[in-house]
Amino acid sequence: MDEIDIESAINDVDIDNDEEVQLSLPEIIQLMEENWLNEKFSPEVLPNRMDIVELLLDQITTLENNLKKLSNADFKKGLYQMEVDRIRFLISSYLRKRLEKIETYSTVILEQEKSRVQQGSETYLSQNELEFAQEYDQSIREHFESIMRFCPGITETQLINPNLHTMVFLKSKEDIEGIVIDDGNDENDLIDLNKGSQVLISYKSVNNFVKSGNVHLI
Amino acid sequence: MFAEKACNLIKELSRCEEVLPPYHTELVKEVCTEIKQLHEQNKEDGAIVANESSIAGYANALYPTLRIGSSAVKRNVRCLLAYHYNRLKTLRTMRWEFGSILPQDIKTNLSSDEIEWFTKYSRSFAKYMTSIGENGLNLCLDLRPPKSLYIEVKCLMDYGKFELSDGTILLLKKDSRHYLPRSECEELITQGVFQHIV
Amino acid sequence: MDPDEVEFLGEKSLVEIVPTFNSAPIYFIGGDVGPFRASIPIRVPLWVAVNLKKQQQCKIIPPDWMDLEKLEFLKEEEKSNKSFVKMPSDHYMIEAKLILGCAADDIPKTDEIRTIIKDIWDIRMSKLRSSMDDMIKKSAMYAAVDNLTLMEINSIRPLLPHALDQIYRIKTNKKALSNRSQGTTSTLSESRTSFSSKT
Repeated sequence: MDEIDIESAINDVDIDNDEEVQLSLPEIIQLMEENWLNEKFSPEVLPNRMDIVELLLDQITTLENNLKKLSNADFKKGLYQMEVDRIRFLISSYLRKRLEKIETYSTVILEQEKSRVQQGSETYLSQNELEFAQEYDQSIREHFESIMRFCPGITETQLINPNLHTMVFLKSKEDIEGIVIDDGNDENDLIDLNKGSQVLISYKSVNNFVKSGNVHLI
Repeated sequence: MFAEKACNLIKELSRCEEVLPPYHTELVKEVCTEIKQLHEQNKEDGAIVANESSIAGYANALYPTLRIGSSAVKRNVRCLLAYHYNRLKTLRTMRWEFGSILPQDIKTNLSSDEIEWFTKYSRSFAKYMTSIGENGLNLCLDLRPPKSLYIEVKCLMDYGKFELSDGTILLLKKDSRHYLPRSECEELITQGVFQHIV
Repeated sequence: MDPDEVEFLGEKSLVEIVPTFNSAPIYFIGGDVGPFRASIPIRVPLWVAVNLKKQQQCKIIPPDWMDLEKLEFLKEEEKSNKSFVKMPSDHYMIEAKLILGCAADDIPKTDEIRTIIKDIWDIRMSKLRSSMDDMIKKSAMYAAVDNLTLMEINSIRPLLPHALDQIYRIKTNKKALSNRSQGTTSTLSESRTSFSSKT
């Protein structure tokens, strides 16, 4: 009802978070977009960014609650709603893409996660994704076992591996020197990337830079 | 020919991409029988080859038979699993489209294992969605980028009363048309109550 | 990628509008927009502009490059150049489509502008097809695509990357085969899916 109310409320949220995470909210949305594209085009599942997902979800929940106070006649309401929808699309699409890969490569991903835990390195899946992956993998395994029960001598393994050599488009966010071109022969030609340059290259050559955020896929 | 039946299973599936054909119990059974027979035969042949240890394995007269037999088993098993795996993948898509309750006409086409798998998948998926953020996030919505604030929809059935988030109550009758905020319609569009008029 | 999704990203670019209303700023999560003063030009994200325009609350000022003379020049440059010319906007097709689609009344000579942008797109697409052909023939596993816009890159996906993936697979399979013929008995290991049965 009172316009000042909602707008100062939205403003407050903005300031709160600026203190917490160093990055401004527009920068966080930008980062979310880049991670969405990375996840869309990389053949393997990438380290999760649930930190920014949750931060943005909090933002839109607060905003939506405040929107209820705004009169329907106010043209701004629709625009606020539209922005909420845009961010929610971004997040859902990102999580859907991850889930799709988690399902397809469940066995391989679970093995990799296990060795990451053993090596004490950061896991790629969130706790909830991990649980989902385990349940999914188990359910497929059980289904297959049930099919093969008629003939106990045969053990089947089902393994689908992502093709890490797949070609991807990327845009570099920094100057990077000496990227090895993975060309299927053993010739190791090198290339340098400048900030802002765009290339088509094998994912294998750049996967570390994708994960560290030096480049992003497009 | 070896594995012909197994191949038919695959063909049957690839003929109907979107819909799920009835689970072919008979044919699956026949494929299993073929695998079992081949497997037994291979075991016997394998034992003979192993016994005649004076002859190097690949020089044994039975060796080619054994190779073919084992390849035939592999091919059969691969087809059998591919048939079942791809059916699960279609079921998975249906979970995303129809929600946790399968329409009866689809359910009748499934094996009991498949129904059980669907229930498990549905539960894990729902659990995962509830875990996202504070209030959960329905991943079956927001499938496409938002375009405009309002869209025109046509109601395909007598649905009854429908309350909008601002408290307005609409009476949804078959063939009635409405101009509504896109976010309010999405669920009813996926459920097939509304049709988006472009 | 779905063209809608490319559009989604392009809709964030800023465009100048002249509002017909007064209003306090809008505090978007993605950054504040406004305050709005009637008749005073202001820059807003394209998706905001399109929505305001649909409600007849603003006029859209075409971006600098959306000008017949400049586009004629650009077209000539694109024609005479062998490589791709840098476009005045990373999302020129999307901006053209959305702005011309909803604000034809704000832009002089819309039809001519539409035609010439389509011409430029066509010239670039034909260049793109011949460079794709070139890459595939050379089995090149790397290409700089600096001046291509996202929409253009998306138009050659998945065809080009997919074709190159297959070429890669053939190359490495050949290598595996020639290694194998040198004596060892190994099984085919390159397949993506493998079901093994042990007896």
